[in-house]
Amino acid sequence: MSNDVQMNDAGAEKRDDWVKITSSDGYSFLVKRSVAAISGTLKNMLSEDSSFREAIANTCPISERAAVVEKVCEYMSFKAYYEGPGSKEGVDVNEFTERIPPEVALELLLAADYLEGVLDSCV
Amino acid sequence: MSRRGNNVRGPTSALTEFLRESGINPTTIARRVATQNQPESRSQDQSVAGPSNSGDNVEDVPEEEQPEESAPQASNGRRGRGRNTGYASDELDEPAEESPVKKRKGTKGRATATAKTKAKKKAKDDGEYEGSSEDEYRAMSKNLWSVGGNSSPKPPAGSFETCARCEKQFTVTKYTMAANPPPGYLCHHCAKASGTDPFKKPVVPRKRVNVTEKRDVISYQERRFPSLAAICIELISRYINDVEALGDIGAVNMDEIAKALSKNRGLTPENAHLFYDVLNKKLRFYDATNLTPDALTTLASLNPNLTHLHLDYCGRLTSPVLLAFSTSMPQLTSLTLLGPFLVRAEAWIEFLKAMSGLGVFKITQSPRFDLECMQTLADSCKNIGELSLREIGLMDNEFADPLCSLPPLKVLDLAFPGIGIDEDGWMKIIEKHGSTLETLDTSKHEGFTDHVLQESVRKYSRILFELKLDECLSLTDGGVAQFFGNWAYPISTLKDEGDDMDVDADPVEVSLTSLEPFTPNPPLRVLSLARNQELSSAALAAAIVHSAQSLTWLNVNGLRSASSEALAQLKRAKELRYLDAGWCRELDDFVMKDVVTVCTKLNEIKVWGCSRVRGVGWGVKRAIKVHGIEPSGGM
Repeated sequence: MSNDVQMNDAGAEKRDDWVKITSSDGYSFLVKRSVAAISGTLKNMLSEDSSFREAIANTCPISERAAVVEKVCEYMSFKAYYEGPGSKEGVDVNEFTERIPPEVALELLLAADYLEGVLDSCV
Repeated sequence: MSRRGNNVRGPTSALTEFLRESGINPTTIARRVATQNQPESRSQDQSVAGPSNSGDNVEDVPEEEQPEESAPQASNGRRGRGRNTGYASDELDEPAEESPVKKRKGTKGRATATAKTKAKKKAKDDGEYEGSSEDEYRAMSKNLWSVGGNSSPKPPAGSFETCARCEKQFTVTKYTMAANPPPGYLCHHCAKASGTDPFKKPVVPRKRVNVTEKRDVISYQERRFPSLAAICIELISRYINDVEALGDIGAVNMDEIAKALSKNRGLTPENAHLFYDVLNKKLRFYDATNLTPDALTTLASLNPNLTHLHLDYCGRLTSPVLLAFSTSMPQLTSLTLLGPFLVRAEAWIEFLKAMSGLGVFKITQSPRFDLECMQTLADSCKNIGELSLREIGLMDNEFADPLCSLPPLKVLDLAFPGIGIDEDGWMKIIEKHGSTLETLDTSKHEGFTDHVLQESVRKYSRILFELKLDECLSLTDGGVAQFFGNWAYPISTLKDEGDDMDVDADPVEVSLTSLEPFTPNPPLRVLSLARNQELSSAALAAAIVHSAQSLTWLNVNGLRSASSEALAQLKRAKELRYLDAGWCRELDDFVMKDVVTVCTKLNEIKVWGCSRVRGVGWGVKRAIKVHGIEPSGGM
C-alpha cells in the first residue's frame, strides 16, 4: 500500500498512522496503530524494535475468517474509544456483546486468546 | 538581620561570641572560599583597614574588629553587611531580597575608583570560583560580587559605565555583570556573548513539594473494559443451551477452547457442557476450579464413554464425586487429577477397587492417600503402567512393598513425598521396575542415594530416558559423577579392568550379568538435578558426557558451585531445547554465548540468580525465551 510506504519514513507520524490487518480469506482491514496496539500480540508484531516482516510492512495477518477479524477490529476500536483519555462515559459492554453473532463466538474466543498476547516478556 | 537592625540581641553561645570577636562571619568565610587561590588578597581582606579601601569600607572596619557594643553605631553598614553575610539565608526568602538590594546599592553609590578596581579584582576571583563550581553556587557568588563585599561596590543602577569589552557606554542595571577577566563591567550584549546569562536568578532552594500531591497513584482502575475473550466466554455461556448455534467444533479446537477458557478461569458449570458428549473418549480441563461437586458429577454422567480424564485444579472433587466417576465411567483407563485433596482414603479405596482397568493413575497433592490406598492400588489395578503419586503427604517407606507388587511400570513418579522411601525400599523398587522404566522421578527422597543409583539404576534400567532427581539431598558429587561415568559400561568389564572403580558390586551378580548380552541404557533425554547443592562440576560434566547427544531438557538449577568449565560442557548437548541453569553462580555470558550459538534448537533458558549473566554479547538473533536476567545485575 502506497500510503503505508509513505508513512514509513515519516517517523513523527508513526504513532498515528494506519496499519493493515488481513484475514485468511483475503480481506484486509485498516485500523489506527494505536487501535491495533490494544492487542498485545499485534503490538509485539508491529513493535518498532523488532525486525518482523509485519513491522516493516505494517501489515498483520490474522489467520481467521474475515467475519472474525472484523469483530476483532471492532472490539479493538471499541476498547480504544472507551479506554482513551478523557472518555468518562460509562461503558456499555452489552452494546458490544450484542453485536457478536453467537456463531462466531467460539472462533472469536480462540482469536482473542491468541491476540491478547503473552504477558511474560521475551528477551 | 532584623535582630541587628533593632538592636535587640538574645543570649549567644560561646562559639558565636568567639567567632564574632575574631571577626569571622559568613562573609569572611565565603570570601575565603572565593579567594582560595590568592592568599595575599585574602590577607588584605582580613586587614580591611587598608588605605585603599573606600569610605564605606572604613565605615565597616571598626565593625569587623570591635566587639558587638559598637554595632549599634554602625547599624546602617551593619545592616548592609548583615544582608551580605546572610547569603545563605538570602536564598531562603528570595522575593524579600529585592528591597534590601536596592537600599544597599544606594548606600554604595559613593563608590570610589579604588573601590572599583578592588571590585574588579574581586570579580575576577569570583569568576574563577564560579567556573569551578556548580550552578547552584553561581547565585551566591554573583551576590558577592554584584552587591559587593565590603570593598566591591557596583556602580548604582542607572549610572553610566563603559563596557570593558566593546568599550561602549551603557547604563548599569541590576543585571550588569562584571567582566571576566577583569577589569570593568560588561554591557548587556557582551555579557550575553560571554556565555553567562545576566538574567539568571540566584538559585532558589527548591521548595519541598508535598509528596502526596506529586504522586499520581491510581489505586484502582475506574472501569475495566472486559477482554474480548471474556466477552466471548460470556456469550458462549449465554448460548450454551443452544450449542448448535456455536457451530461444529472439531476435537482440536475443543482442546484449544478448553485452554482459552481455563486461562481466564472461565470454565463454569454452565459452559462446561460445551465439552460434553456421549461419544467423548478424552476430556481435559485445564482449570476446573469453578466446577462444583455437582458439576463434576454431571461431567461423569454426560460422558459415560470417557477413557481418559484429566482435571487440573479439581479442588472441589469430593469423595462422592470420585465414586460417581467409578460408576458412571466404567471405561476409564487413565485418570489424572491435580489437587484432589478433599477425597478421603475410603473413597480412594472404593474407587480403586472398582476401577481395576486403570492403566494410568496420576494424582498430585492428596494428603489422605495412605498405605491402605496404596495396597488396594497394588491389589486391584493389575494393568497399571504409569503411576504418579506426587506430593503425597503420607508416603513413607511402607509404600515400597506395594509398589514392588505392581506390574512393571513405565512411568514412576513419587516426587516430593511427606516422608519418603528409604534406600532399601528404592533398591527393591528399581530392581522390580527398573528394566521397564522410561520415566523416573524421585525428587526429594532422601533415601535415593548414590548407592541406589550405582547399584540399582545402573544395573537394571535399560530404557530410561527421563530422570528427575531434584532435591535428593543424599546424592554426592562424586557418586553421581561415577554413576554417569560408568553407566554406559557393563558392570563386568569394569570388574575385569579393576576393582577400584566399583568396589561395591557383588562378584556373583557380575558373573550372572556378564552372561547375558549387555545393552546399555541409552542416553537420557530429560534430566533434572535441580537444587542438589552437593552436586557440582564433576556430576554435571559426567552427566553431560553421558547424555549429551540426546539431551533435550536439562535442569541444573541450584548447582551453585559448578565451575564455568563444567557449565561450558553444556554446549555439547546440541539437541537441548530447554535449559534451566538458575543459581549456577559461575555461569557467565561467555558460556551462554557458546551454548546459545551451538545449541541451535534451544528455545527456553532460565538463568534466575546467575549474577554474571547479563545477556550481552550472545550474538544470536533467534527467538529464545530467556527468563531471569537481572537488568542491572552482576559485576
